[in-house]
Amino acid sequence: MPIKIALTKGRVEQQVVPLLEASGIDCSGIRNKGRRLIFDEDPVYETILVKGPDVLTYLNSGSVHLGIVGSDILAEQNNTQYAMLDLGVGRCRFVLASTGDFDPQQVRRKIIATKYPNITKRYFQSIGEDVEIIRIEGSVELAPLIGLADAIVDITETGTTLRENNLHVYAELQPVSTQLVVNRLALKQYQSEIRTLVENLQKAKLNLGVNE
Amino acid sequence: MIKNRNLPSGTRDEFGPRAAVKENISSQLFSIFKQRGFTKLTTPILEYADVFKPLNLANYRPYQLLDEQGEALVLRPDLTLPVARMMSTTGVELPAKWYYGGDVFRVKKQLSGSYNQVTQAGIELVGYSSIKGELECLTIALAGCQATGIKEMTLELSDARFVEGVLAALPVPEPTKVALKQALFTKNLTVYNQISELLADTEFGEFLSEWPWLFGDFDTVMKVVQRLPKIPKVQTVIDSLNAVNQFIKQMAPNQHVVLDLSIPSPQTYYTGMAFRGYTQNASDYLFSGGRYDDLLTSFQQIKEPAVGLAFDVDALADRVPLPDTAKQTLIYFDSAQWQEAEEVLQETPNSTLCLADSRDEANRIAVSNNQRLLNLTKEGE
Repeated sequence: MPIKIALTKGRVEQQVVPLLEASGIDCSGIRNKGRRLIFDEDPVYETILVKGPDVLTYLNSGSVHLGIVGSDILAEQNNTQYAMLDLGVGRCRFVLASTGDFDPQQVRRKIIATKYPNITKRYFQSIGEDVEIIRIEGSVELAPLIGLADAIVDITETGTTLRENNLHVYAELQPVSTQLVVNRLALKQYQSEIRTLVENLQKAKLNLGVNE
Repeated sequence: MIKNRNLPSGTRDEFGPRAAVKENISSQLFSIFKQRGFTKLTTPILEYADVFKPLNLANYRPYQLLDEQGEALVLRPDLTLPVARMMSTTGVELPAKWYYGGDVFRVKKQLSGSYNQVTQAGIELVGYSSIKGELECLTIALAGCQATGIKEMTLELSDARFVEGVLAALPVPEPTKVALKQALFTKNLTVYNQISELLADTEFGEFLSEWPWLFGDFDTVMKVVQRLPKIPKVQTVIDSLNAVNQFIKQMAPNQHVVLDLSIPSPQTYYTGMAFRGYTQNASDYLFSGGRYDDLLTSFQQIKEPAVGLAFDVDALADRVPLPDTAKQTLIYFDSAQWQEAEEVLQETPNSTLCLADSRDEANRIAVSNNQRLLNLTKEGE
């Protein structure tokens, strides 16, 4: 039986494929995928492409053995599987951002818009504040501009989108990067294969100059 | 909207072959427990939430409701703590050997396809401190898998005292130990390697680089353990694991035994060895158990040694082939022939009485259920 990997499609996929190839996994199918979602070119590893939030759903059920997904999603979904290796790509950070007139010290219950309610809740709990959270699915930057929220919690890589929308960073929360996640029981069942992959990925990171 | 045609998320009906397989498995396990002289213990499905305080609630989120005084009640998420509660409040003479069977309820993530009601069957040995307790549990674990037709089961042994013993001996400050343990338990290699690097040049260096991978074939793992400097506390743990491994080798020479010395104990009240069983191509454990001498301490001052084991009947049922559906015999008869029909029913294996009142209806039932019709009447001939 092949070892199944759920890979987050899109940007994570583009950044991770070179690492997988440098680890000896045949990714020719993923590079020329057309509309396919399952890739079995490699004799040992079968890769499926899924949306980030679905990686843990597959992994927790045991339908796949490994997942490759951002730590933002792992934190938001309270992951309990093994996040074994930081792949060092997809680096960005969580920030609290808002318009120039936002006052973090204002004495009232703030309204925060975010795609990440759990991370937002934990952050404000950690600084002893209670806030009203509004869940937004995309273009979170709009919320403070249109008056839906006082501020947002979102991920940013370079801060360009924030700047273009005249938003300022008021606090830095946790950093984000792409992780290799392993189903707990699968690690026992496929110990040698998974160990080989982990060690190959560690070497590939060094060879490709991916920083810790 | 009236929801009288829907099931709550995470629940299901069980009927037909699946229900039969589960019932079979439970009764096979019960007969092993009974044959070994265990006594049945049934505890209620509803308990006060406080009973389950020792559980790590991340994995055991219970269904909650309130009683008439406003106290939080839960549908039991576990069957071991109710035994401990019962032991500490009823003055039962120790030692005791209990067996139980029933469903536990754990609320999993909504809409994830997971099932929130799991059938368990298990045993608790309370008042036995010797390793004979562990050996009895393991004997039953192997017998249970054999009786229910599980093939190629892997038996995993572990003991969290190993991790504590090694950590205690490391020449680093306490906060570093805590961080190392956390990284080891979550298998976060990036963080683990950063910390273990600090000890690379010590006598622990060689061992530490292997520690996150310290699971697998029993003898292979033990070879890595030999690279450790002698730590008396750790040696005791190693000795008892070796003794158990020897025992299994004698009792079941073909049993595959693996050892995991890199994981935390399943619950905070575990105090010694833990054991689980799994098969290669499935994502759940068949059984799990271990020694938990701290089990009663959340209910009473005095500790009592305890060791136990629970089978996951659903996991066993997933691996057992469905029974072959030999054709059932449908006995059609007149009410006046009840006694005769009764005799045929007793004599004919896999038969059932036809309760319909006409030959045509009996025919229709037999065809739709793929049954062989046995007609005791003169009707239609």
